[in-house]
Amino acid sequence: MSAARYLVAWAVMLLLLGLSIWSAFLRIGPWQPVAQFGIAVTQAAIVFIVFMRLPGRPSLKWVFAGAGFFWLIFLYGISMADYLTRSGLPKG
Amino acid sequence: MSESAPRPAEQFADFAQQGEVAQLGMFVFIATEVLFFGGLVFTYYIYRHLYGAEFAIAGRDAKLMLGAINAAILLTSSLTMVLAIEAAAADRQRAILRWLALTVALGFLFLGVKGWEYVTDYRDHVVPAVNFLMKPGYGGPAELFWVFYFIATGIHAIHLTIGIGAVLAMMRFARRGRFTPVYYAPLEVVGLYWSFVDCVWLFLFPALYLLGRS
Repeated sequence: MSAARYLVAWAVMLLLLGLSIWSAFLRIGPWQPVAQFGIAVTQAAIVFIVFMRLPGRPSLKWVFAGAGFFWLIFLYGISMADYLTRSGLPKG
Repeated sequence: MSESAPRPAEQFADFAQQGEVAQLGMFVFIATEVLFFGGLVFTYYIYRHLYGAEFAIAGRDAKLMLGAINAAILLTSSLTMVLAIEAAAADRQRAILRWLALTVALGFLFLGVKGWEYVTDYRDHVVPAVNFLMKPGYGGPAELFWVFYFIATGIHAIHLTIGIGAVLAMMRFARRGRFTPVYYAPLEVVGLYWSFVDCVWLFLFPALYLLGRS
């Protein structure tokens, strides 16, 4: 039963890969990296939940697996606070 | 002595607890890797935003077909890896070896494709500092794209090579019958690492191969 679960996840991953490649040929401008990054996040979530088998004992795994991403929020957030406000500085 | 019934390490109550702790340990390591690759990807997107036009021109020369094939290879290897773990849980010893061998083969296939890609990149004169030819319409930041390309794919390939070594070690363990349905933590932990390396490629692929196509 679980083998079928992995096969379905694998097929969905390949489908998402195809979708990501297809999106590269669409004329959607700045939305392209957004769509592709979104697809990558979805794929990564599938890898973590299905292939890295997050559900199951010990349930503390969720906390350990999420820690890196939690700290990434700070890294991205504080870095963006810099880049997003730079244009507000007087030029020259 | 060595033939006596296997026992968990002395700080653990039983094998289940030992296996759980091993998994948590690997997730701690993966957290550091998430921050490492996360920083790299973030920097890439900052520069891509600053030099959008140059990155689009440079990115068009990345070998989309080879990158996509490698993405599919890695996705499939995550499947074979987890099937090896399931085989261990079900005590199907021959199946463990079979799935691990397939995982290693896919890993080598990825490195082979990647190596071939580097050769074609060299022929295309897109290797910064070694063989880089500024094409008309290219600005300096185009070279920056290729710096990111080689740093990111190079570090990823090193990770994958370590992964192949770890899976080969697991095959040795499996051949000696070290994995039982009660305890197969080393295999599970290597599986976590392998899937994470696959995860990294999921982010590198759209960043490095899907630019300037529309």
